[in-house]
Amino acid sequence: MANRITRRKFLISSGLAGIALKSPMLFANTSGNAASSPIMRRIPGMDESIPAIGMGTWITFNVGGDTQLVQQRTRVLKTFFDLGGTVVDGSPMYGSAADVMGEALDSLDAHDRIFAATKIWTGDESETRAEAARSSRRWGVERFDLLQVHNLLGWQGHLETLKQMKANGEVRYIGITTSHGRRHREFAQIMERESLDFVQLTYNVLDHEVEDRLLPLAQERGIGVIVNRPFQGGSLFRRFQSEPLPNWAGEVGVSNWAEFFLKYIISHPAVTCAIPATSKVEHMKENMGALYGALPNAGQRQRMADYVRSL
Amino acid sequence: MSGADWLSYSLQDFVMFGPQVFLRLFVRINQDLWPWQVLAVVAAIGIPVLLLRQGRNARRLAVGLIAVAWAVSGYGFLVGYFGPINWPAVWFGWAFVAQGVLLAAAMFSGGVREAALPSGRFVALWLIVVCGLPWLAVAESGQWQALALFGIAPGTTAAAGALIVAVITGPWRWLYLPLLVLWSLFSAAMFWVLQAWWLLVAPVATLFLVGAGSWLSPRTAQSPD
Repeated sequence: MANRITRRKFLISSGLAGIALKSPMLFANTSGNAASSPIMRRIPGMDESIPAIGMGTWITFNVGGDTQLVQQRTRVLKTFFDLGGTVVDGSPMYGSAADVMGEALDSLDAHDRIFAATKIWTGDESETRAEAARSSRRWGVERFDLLQVHNLLGWQGHLETLKQMKANGEVRYIGITTSHGRRHREFAQIMERESLDFVQLTYNVLDHEVEDRLLPLAQERGIGVIVNRPFQGGSLFRRFQSEPLPNWAGEVGVSNWAEFFLKYIISHPAVTCAIPATSKVEHMKENMGALYGALPNAGQRQRMADYVRSL
Repeated sequence: MSGADWLSYSLQDFVMFGPQVFLRLFVRINQDLWPWQVLAVVAAIGIPVLLLRQGRNARRLAVGLIAVAWAVSGYGFLVGYFGPINWPAVWFGWAFVAQGVLLAAAMFSGGVREAALPSGRFVALWLIVVCGLPWLAVAESGQWQALALFGIAPGTTAAAGALIVAVITGPWRWLYLPLLVLWSLFSAAMFWVLQAWWLLVAPVATLFLVGAGSWLSPRTAQSPD
């Protein structure tokens, strides 16, 4: 039977095609072609890949016992999972964020969808296991995929215990973190000496310091890199949101500023994953847009950095 | 953590929540307490009346109500609501409870003056504080349910409590002052980071009212003590 195209069918099809072209994310998970596949990054030395965009929970998930806000953050997490995200990073330092994450995971029954990463944040180096156990209870996960020493606090003792925990199968990966450019020299020394799966550091289109030493060192040593503060704590949006995207933004797979900032980061060959934080579903959708489509090459990355500096 | 480590942190690193979450605390505690905050309003209006009446019992009742306000706002708001998102708030919460106990101890130990207060100025300042400061959270949040009432919200309670310096004597006054100053500095820094400009008025007012309370204090010569 001939499939006749009526005027009505034509208009509906044209409209859907227009929406699809304008909003690639809308159809991101519904087809198997390359354009809609999430950008995955292999964990160095492992047969496992993770999505290049994860999420942080600093400030955004610290909402205490506010039921209304817990439900709202649960919707943010659901959006993250629905759009292909898995890596969620937290810390005992972030107030109630761990409890809120636990509640949200329970609500979504999503414990098997998460790559759970948290930190050890205590000066007492004998408390590593106890703090990891507390965090496990709060998140409602049996074990963490990744445990990191937060800002190198008591790192010697914690790292030794974390190595034992990894050997015993109590955690899958271990690492160390820094942020805001703190203690990079000591950070590099630890990367050189210790056997680490991941490091977490601050990197964004304005904060480039890690390009000189830490990112090349991570590549050389086969260490995965998680990038925090990709939006410089939101200040990149405050500074540049009102500016136009460059007219060549489409060439680098970018349709908004969130994608611009994130694709700049995850296109660095040393970077495994960036972890932007947000409290809004709409912003989460924008962030996850960076998980799809084209990535800038080295020349285009330079052009992106130059463009931001010129504003 | 070493001193150098602490110095590498900025003020922003210690404020781990956003302004929306903080302002929702006022809405939530008002919703949870309703209608009992009417008692707080009655107490706020009744305290200056009691303070201005001659007689030991009226003044003791007024000071006792302020002591209860310190303790309730500390345990209720700071420990119960604010603590889960900001751990230093728990310390301040218990310090507020201790401040209430201190005030009660002063009341029973002769640490409260019985001399007459300059009524007009005291009542005017008190009413400005308990009727005006609650609206700062409303102005900041845009929600009238965020009223920061005396006896419930720590900022308004501390500001009104600062004025009571007028009736506290000698060493009790020196014990009473540190929390007022520390809370003002802590909350001012927090509101600055949150860019909650309206709320900044409360800690500034508290420090001003410490001075005003001292100024309104009956001179020793006038006191029967």
